[in-house]
Amino acid sequence: MKFNHIYKLILCLALLSSFTEMQNSEKDSVITLLTNRTEFEVGNKVVLKFSSSNQNKPILYCSNSYGSTLIKPRYERGKLVYQLPENISTKIGVINWELLNTSKPLTGKLNITPIAKVATMETYIGPPSIESGGSDYSMLVVIPTDSLDNPVPTNTLVNVKNQFLDNEETHEIFTKNFVAFRIIHSPKKTGRMLVSSECLGTNSKEFTVNVSAAIPTNFYISVTRPHNYADGNQITTFSTSVIKDKSGNIVSDGTFVTFIIKNLKGNILKTVGLTIAGVATSKMIHPEYPDSWNVKAYVEGAAESNSISLNYNQVIQDFKVEFFDDNRKISVGPLQSFMQQLIPDGLHVKLNIYKDNAFVSTLTKTSFNGYVHFKLKPAIFEKGTYTFSIETAGLTKNIKNKKLW
Amino acid sequence: MVGLNKNIIRALLITSYVVLIGLILSGVSSVIGYLNTGADRSKMLHTEIKKVEQYLPKIVWEPLENEGRTIDAQNLNALQNDYLDAWYVKQIAYKTNKFKGIKDYYTDSSRENLYNFIALNKANDITIEATTLSHNPTLEFYSEDGQLAVITDRNVVEYKRVFKADSLVLETTEKSTYKIIFLLEDGFWRIRHMVKEDNDIFNANHRKIATDNLNIKGINYYPQATPWNTFGDEFSIDTISKDFKIIKDAGLNSIRIFVQYEKFGKAHVKPKMLDKLKQALDVAEKHNLKVVITLFDFYGDYSLMNWTLDHRHAETIVNAFKNHNALLAWDIKNEPNLDFDTRGQDIVIAWLDNMIDLVKSVDDTHPVTIGWSNTQSAAILKDKVDFVSFHYYEDLDNLDKAIKSLKTEIKDKPIVLQEFGISSYRGLWNPFGNTEKDQAEYHKKIQNILATNKMQFMSWTLYDFNDIPTEVVGRLPWRKRAQQHFGFINQNGEPKPAFQYISKK
Repeated sequence: MKFNHIYKLILCLALLSSFTEMQNSEKDSVITLLTNRTEFEVGNKVVLKFSSSNQNKPILYCSNSYGSTLIKPRYERGKLVYQLPENISTKIGVINWELLNTSKPLTGKLNITPIAKVATMETYIGPPSIESGGSDYSMLVVIPTDSLDNPVPTNTLVNVKNQFLDNEETHEIFTKNFVAFRIIHSPKKTGRMLVSSECLGTNSKEFTVNVSAAIPTNFYISVTRPHNYADGNQITTFSTSVIKDKSGNIVSDGTFVTFIIKNLKGNILKTVGLTIAGVATSKMIHPEYPDSWNVKAYVEGAAESNSISLNYNQVIQDFKVEFFDDNRKISVGPLQSFMQQLIPDGLHVKLNIYKDNAFVSTLTKTSFNGYVHFKLKPAIFEKGTYTFSIETAGLTKNIKNKKLW
Repeated sequence: MVGLNKNIIRALLITSYVVLIGLILSGVSSVIGYLNTGADRSKMLHTEIKKVEQYLPKIVWEPLENEGRTIDAQNLNALQNDYLDAWYVKQIAYKTNKFKGIKDYYTDSSRENLYNFIALNKANDITIEATTLSHNPTLEFYSEDGQLAVITDRNVVEYKRVFKADSLVLETTEKSTYKIIFLLEDGFWRIRHMVKEDNDIFNANHRKIATDNLNIKGINYYPQATPWNTFGDEFSIDTISKDFKIIKDAGLNSIRIFVQYEKFGKAHVKPKMLDKLKQALDVAEKHNLKVVITLFDFYGDYSLMNWTLDHRHAETIVNAFKNHNALLAWDIKNEPNLDFDTRGQDIVIAWLDNMIDLVKSVDDTHPVTIGWSNTQSAAILKDKVDFVSFHYYEDLDNLDKAIKSLKTEIKDKPIVLQEFGISSYRGLWNPFGNTEKDQAEYHKKIQNILATNKMQFMSWTLYDFNDIPTEVVGRLPWRKRAQQHFGFINQNGEPKPAFQYISKK
């Protein structure tokens, strides 16, 4: 009997407890969202209110563009009040939320909308240097942001202003994908272009785009020289005409010009110069023998000049050769230039030595005070009969069968 | 008495001497061993690649039709790398509530937003573990000077676990669209603005895969010489072919093989291993056997930060064989419930859940299952798998009841007894173990139970093995010995009495 009672009691309790369970879960599901708004302007307080029939305080999960967090409610006059933290309500974008600890989790989305107020004009311009002529361009990108560092709404008007020489322009562009951009094509002239932008009354800083000359076009070269003799001493100067691009702008200083000289033997001599104010000059020493030069200048990969030819005349008509001291000392000279003056020091004289029709050696010396002296040492050149040839300034003299003692 | 004492002392002296010498020897040898290890020659020139791939969610770019300058592959790749790294450092930051790494991938003003969140969450003892599983970015804009880019990343699937005071309060998978501005600063593409434009709860919808025609009568297979290492260096396709013939001739129609996570190359699956697996499948096809491929063998990480790497592993393998005729089903993981205690049940289940989604997203024709180690776990994720698999090594008397209760719990899906068997080891480590006769009796009995319950099955295993790797059952000799004798064919290659009950004729 007693057992029976206990059994009944337990059964009753079990039944009751299951009822209370049910009631609890019913109460849970009574939580409903009271806030109808789903759009909030950025920076405003965002509060979600739920009606609740019991004292449970479930936490709210919410997540925005940058992160997620959990929010505890306040209980105000039968309502659960969730105030989203500032770092969520001050950022635009979608917020998704979920009320936790309820039998049927409530979920929802809010949209924090951007405001059309600009605090900073984040401006990027690049490339900062472009070439004139209209084909090259730079790009201005503006990210207007509000005081909470959010991008402004799509299709916000941005005015792009640029000034170049006498010309001032304004163009309207609109934000898309948070940015507004404009391609700025180069003008025909070189100079500095100033660019700025304005959005909803806020102006950007001033930005500069340097418009430099485009690639050079073909040019001319000219030559100046003290005389046209091949004395191996004076210097010929080459210079270009003012090198310009196709719009007539003088090319940037420092443009590299290469002068290529081809002589009669087919050898190539090279000299280079950098432009200043469009003109490049370069120098080359005169040849020591009569020659004809063909000169052409290049800005490599971009432009070339006309080609000019230059003649260098014989500077020494004849010279004497004398032998002394058992014919072991050879004196060449006097070497006289075009006005019979002694040739400036440094003219090359070459002595070729042959013995028994076989080449033995070449001695080379440069002139000093109009003369060159060769000394044939007995240790090297044994006694015997030698043949010599002497070359200088394009002339050759042969002296046959000279006996050295 | 005196003589005895002396002998005891002698014995003690000798043994202590031996022990002492042994200790000295091992000490000296370990010192020598230590001194002989030096710098690796291959690292002498510091040519090793430093980049560690730690975050590889699936990322598919929309065709490039952006405004501004056209982007080249190299810059797009740099942008993608830094973008994914930005996600990675953010996930780490929210998990640990620390700032580390953020300043590399977020500009001065945008990193404030993360810092604020971290401060808020830290103050409230909230941590968030998350990983993104897929991205579908569109390049919207790339500036002429190559210093600014805007992308819209659609369908970012993000799995999140939210903890309050170290207890899990929410597990959610969200699908969002983000619009992001990047600036190239100091060689890093840094996020300047990030705006979530849309969000939804993510539900992976998969095509229902018909499993009515399944009729699995199979066996778990490892080669006799290389158990738990089918695709290692000693891989021999001839051996496998011979074994498959034995299996087919025994009246079975399918096998279950295992793909080791690490040996297959983790996130970057080695082509060599894929080739071996393909050879095995080709041979199975030749012998008219169907194959259940069990992925993630010897895997036990499950940590959220490595999910993307695991996904790339599975994706590569599933993609390689989804059209193979021999393929029967994908078994996501062998006995994952054994990791519940060490790794946490919820994270293991979440990993499996997401892995099923991944496998199904790549292959929507082959069924997916999980090889639970017991009947208690078998119903986990029953709505997700296409057929339920469980293993049974317990008392046969309870099997019938276990099957029946499982069938009431899982009504609409086939149930496969994916592993069962008994060791016929009786010897030094287990003098009262089962004999080969007992084993035969066991298989006879279980086949009857299976037949009456119309159960599909895969037995454990074809061979008695000589060597059991330590990773399988540990070092204890009685465990190793027992594990060696589950086969239908003994170590000498002769069929054991149980062989005649390998399948019900």
